[in-house]
Amino acid sequence: MTVPDAARAAAILDGLGGVDNVDEIDPCTTRLRTLVKDPARVDAAALRHAGAYGVMVSGRVVQVVVGPHADTIASDLAELL
Amino acid sequence: MTIPAAPAADAPPATPHRAGHKYQAVRAYLADLIENELAEGDALPSERALTDRFGVSRMTVRQALDSLAADGVLVREQGRGTFVAPARVDFEMRLTTFGEDVRRRGMAPGTRVLDAATVPAPTRVAEQLALEPGEPVHEVRRLRSADGVPMSLEHAWLPARLLPAMLDDGVPESLYGALRAAGYAPTWGEDTISASVATPDEATLLQMQGSLALLRTRRRTYAEDTAVMYSQASYRGDRYSVVVPLREAKPTIVPRAARDADGRTDR
Repeated sequence: MTVPDAARAAAILDGLGGVDNVDEIDPCTTRLRTLVKDPARVDAAALRHAGAYGVMVSGRVVQVVVGPHADTIASDLAELL
Repeated sequence: MTIPAAPAADAPPATPHRAGHKYQAVRAYLADLIENELAEGDALPSERALTDRFGVSRMTVRQALDSLAADGVLVREQGRGTFVAPARVDFEMRLTTFGEDVRRRGMAPGTRVLDAATVPAPTRVAEQLALEPGEPVHEVRRLRSADGVPMSLEHAWLPARLLPAMLDDGVPESLYGALRAAGYAPTWGEDTISASVATPDEATLLQMQGSLALLRTRRRTYAEDTAVMYSQASYRGDRYSVVVPLREAKPTIVPRAARDADGRTDR
């Protein structure tokens, strides 16, 4: 993992284009399913660098595979949003 | 994918409309009987009893029985009659392998290795395992059975770098076992499930008769942060169903700014 746990949520939020670009985030068991305003502002490489195991973009929905730590990351994201 | 020609038993009934309707009635009656009244191995009413009960021809009764046999809910035994087929194996998708799953059900797992080699990773596999295309992977194709009955075809790829000697003494009995032994115990993964139709090759290997429905899974297995295996499996649709435990969805996270804005418009 290239980003320490504590900074991971912030790095993922940056990869998603920042707070302004996020409409909502649905935490799943191993994924964060995110509805973004502008998919062009999503940086898949940055998300992978932040520890994502996969990034799937379909329209405005961005699925970030984060593994079993999805819960923790979601709580951290809730703080940041 | 092209759909192979269906065997006769799987074909829709080539009957006039009225007979088609009668065939549906017989079929519905039998399906209800199997679902609610009978147990595995029980005999179904004879063809004669059914023709009398519904006032239809023997051919119509046979079509109803054929279509249920094609769905795998009953088996016909020459000269003996028609019986309720064994229930499907319902399995919860967990991070276990086929052998572990089958053993837990008190059945004996069987394996026939179809292919095993160390090869350069195809692009698609490299993507799934976060490897560079062409990095060496162990590729293993196996036919899996339970108590001698073919159940699934598995195709797996593992990064050779993690287990350089994996294939030295043949294919290990358990791929997860080999990963554990190498210090990469699987800790999480993701399955993608889809419905499909067996290719002629798959139908032959799985000894499928009647229905050609398959349940296909694609799985990525991780040991903590490391992708350790990508695998595809094709399960016989007449032998398997999947149980998915459901939990309450976690609340959706909405940015504070949007929440505040909502608050103002709502109140």
